[in-house]
Amino acid sequence: MNNEMKFKEIVAQYCEVKPEDMKNDMRFREDLGFSSLDFMSFLGELEDTFDIELEEEDALQVLTIAQALELLEKLEQEG
Amino acid sequence: MREYYPLTAAQKLHHNWIRDYKTQQVSGVSVVASLKSALDFGLLKKCLQLEFERYGCMRIRFTRPDEKGESKQYIVEKETRDIPIKDLSGMSMEAADNLMQQWAYETFNGDDIPMCDVTMIKLPEGYNGFFIHMDHRLIDSCGIVVMINDVMQLYTHYRFGSEYPKDLADFEMVLEKDLKKANNEKRLAKDKKFWDDQLDALGEPLYSDIQGPEVLEEARKLHGNEKLRAADIERKNLFVEVKDYYLEPEPTKNLIDFCMNHQLSMTNLLLLGIRTYLSKVNNGQEDITIQNFISRRSTHDEWTSGGSRTIMFPCRTVISPETEFIAAAYEIQNVQNRIYMHSNYDPALIMEEMRRRYHTPEHTTYESCYLTYQPMPVKMDNPYLKCIPQHSKWFANGAATKKMYLTVSHTEHGGMNFSYHYQTAHLEEHDMELLYYYMMRILFKGIAEPDMSIGEIMAQV
Repeated sequence: MNNEMKFKEIVAQYCEVKPEDMKNDMRFREDLGFSSLDFMSFLGELEDTFDIELEEEDALQVLTIAQALELLEKLEQEG
Repeated sequence: MREYYPLTAAQKLHHNWIRDYKTQQVSGVSVVASLKSALDFGLLKKCLQLEFERYGCMRIRFTRPDEKGESKQYIVEKETRDIPIKDLSGMSMEAADNLMQQWAYETFNGDDIPMCDVTMIKLPEGYNGFFIHMDHRLIDSCGIVVMINDVMQLYTHYRFGSEYPKDLADFEMVLEKDLKKANNEKRLAKDKKFWDDQLDALGEPLYSDIQGPEVLEEARKLHGNEKLRAADIERKNLFVEVKDYYLEPEPTKNLIDFCMNHQLSMTNLLLLGIRTYLSKVNNGQEDITIQNFISRRSTHDEWTSGGSRTIMFPCRTVISPETEFIAAAYEIQNVQNRIYMHSNYDPALIMEEMRRRYHTPEHTTYESCYLTYQPMPVKMDNPYLKCIPQHSKWFANGAATKKMYLTVSHTEHGGMNFSYHYQTAHLEEHDMELLYYYMMRILFKGIAEPDMSIGEIMAQV
């Protein structure tokens, strides 16, 4: 499974949208129904799954799936 | 072979209260769920017994505490107890509620015993249903709502042929995942750093009481320390009263709209209302801490696995009177978002660190107010039962570990319920009246004029 699919599988645990139906411009709160707590827990899950360390300031700027994937890719390259 | 697990941080919260206050009563949670309908009690019994199989948290037991007072938990494979039925239909509803309130005061005493009682009941006015009495280490209120809905879905499946409810997540599997997360050293270090950084930046917190600065002054005299910043916790008289206030649907909608339009969560708006009141009655104190409960349920598995996932963290903000209402709300939101990111941490470790740094005396606290906001209505969400009147009621366990604990929930008619649980040793109903009155004045002034400063709002309300 590639990273994007793995990522979407995690997102799907938090919402009613199936990974295959997720569009990259979907917003976590407005389109996927994440609460603040959901989003922060989700970030923790990402850190554990992909073995990355998110800076809080960067993480709080993330609004869409595309932005999150971009950040993930950047952190994986750095790591 | 049976697996023994340590308690999670959320379970430890209740476990430590039981140990500190020497009674399991502080950890009781009770609710009645009933419908104005003739029920097939034979079938209901079958559904409740099935629920014991489906919902693993109902089968948790605790071992005898060790020399440090710590217990392990395990899940028994089968619960074979009978589910009794009690007939209260000859009473008035008020008398029936009073009797159930007495049941809610009962304790589960012993080790390796079931910590969950279910009784089917016939209530007055044609209501029938069941009463659940459990230990909070097994379940929180969200978990109970999920359980009630699941039982009723089982009932409507067997009675009316509706769809069989989806499987609930396996409690043991979710527990193992939680414990693994909590033991992740990298995460633990990050969480500890977050909480330590807050203390490094702001120093020792300062107590603020609902009744004003005299409470802290009294504690300072008692401890012979005029610089003391924490106040004593009531440990002997734990009796609690409950005062409920109902906010009508229209003003509720105004609060919700304000939150939506400003991308704020209701929890943060409520925290702002409480902290502004505390600041007002404590001579404009800027450094305020409130304990806020978080129900750590985000994934599908976390929602449906039951268990006790509610945990409290101190929400500490230092807000000057010049700060605009909306800016103050965002400041709280910012703090809360960061707390959410570190909510796997054990809050007992935060207190431990403060005691280490500031030599905070035993049995003192920095907070007088505790908040729980429940976005989920306490209602049986089942289309087959939609048109049937329901009678659901939560019963206080009668022993409060907290001076004032506010639960805010949404009602089925679009309003909000503000339920104030307060220790009668120091507080009276009038204190709750003042708190609710000013909270509402502050919130509605603030949402009407979000650019107004906190200082002006405090002066005007």
